[in-house]
Amino acid sequence: MRLFISFILCVISIAKVQADSFVVDKVYHPYVLPNEQEFEWRLFSRQTDEGNKLAQHIAYGFALSERVMFEAYILGERNENDSDDYGLKSYEAEVRWMLTEQGELWADWGALFELEKQHDSNDWEATAALLFEKEIGKTSLTMNFFMVYEWGDNSRESMKNEFRLQYRYRFLPQLQPAIELYTGHNYLGIGPAFMGIQRFDRQKQLKWEMGFIVGFNGNNKDNALRVAIEYEF
Amino acid sequence: MFKWKVNITSCLLLFSCAVFAQRPEFVLEIKDHLFYPAEIHIPKNKKVKLVIYNYDATPEEFDSFDLNREKVIFPHRKSIIFIGPLPEGRYSFFGEYHPNTAKGVVIVDDTTTVNQPLEESSHVD
Repeated sequence: MRLFISFILCVISIAKVQADSFVVDKVYHPYVLPNEQEFEWRLFSRQTDEGNKLAQHIAYGFALSERVMFEAYILGERNENDSDDYGLKSYEAEVRWMLTEQGELWADWGALFELEKQHDSNDWEATAALLFEKEIGKTSLTMNFFMVYEWGDNSRESMKNEFRLQYRYRFLPQLQPAIELYTGHNYLGIGPAFMGIQRFDRQKQLKWEMGFIVGFNGNNKDNALRVAIEYEF
Repeated sequence: MFKWKVNITSCLLLFSCAVFAQRPEFVLEIKDHLFYPAEIHIPKNKKVKLVIYNYDATPEEFDSFDLNREKVIFPHRKSIIFIGPLPEGRYSFFGEYHPNTAKGVVIVDDTTTVNQPLEESSHVD
């Protein structure tokens, strides 16, 4: 247990030193269901001393096989209170791979690969992540370790780390409270999150997530609100 | 001679470990959109392997919030779900494609009855 905590602290400290854009986003689970299709919408609002930054993701995804899921995103962003600035920022393709059967090993593992291109410039971002989930009674600990590589006409070629953690209590299907932690890009944030799932007919279900993350970056204000809604069918 | 003895002992030790590592298996069948048996008893505080055969011509999804498991079982195929270790209690599950008929419950108690291991083929007739 001590080793495990030391490992997490080590990841936090590395990410805090090395990185520099925003890290609060979805915490990925290492599971894929065959035949699954989904539409997803995500909203992020980041409030700092300089102003408010809003971003939205719209995505469509489908399972390629029993263990692999593909998702395509369109990302929009508005910078620091400039309401005229809201527009298409980038495109992203994502592949999520379930590496182990749920519950078979001590913990469940998955991998994530993303490729993102800026809409109006030749700038790219490639991401590889290791996804981890451990069931502990009625709770689940999920961790994502990201390696992000950036390059392009306006981006300095660089490699960065991100770390996301979610500790969730599976209270009711519709309401599952959690604590989330994010580090990376000179940011360390912790806060409460709530999520749930409402099932409809057959594979049709609506998943929702909302988190309020408080940044711990000295005396500067840096709070984030994240909302995600997924319709699976 | 000593080397041989050491090797044989190592093999036996490995084999013993493999035997101990085998999970108790329990079988569940889906026929006419119903789970058979509808009640499964498994031992407490032990990880078990639930082997589910789908004899129907349509897919089914094993779904359980209590067990924290979701798994699609294709028609005429078998699928494996690992559950536990769990404390004593009742853990309900249902078939997401036929939630009104395909229902069941896993009862965790001190039972020690374990089914025989199954053949490796994933196809069922």
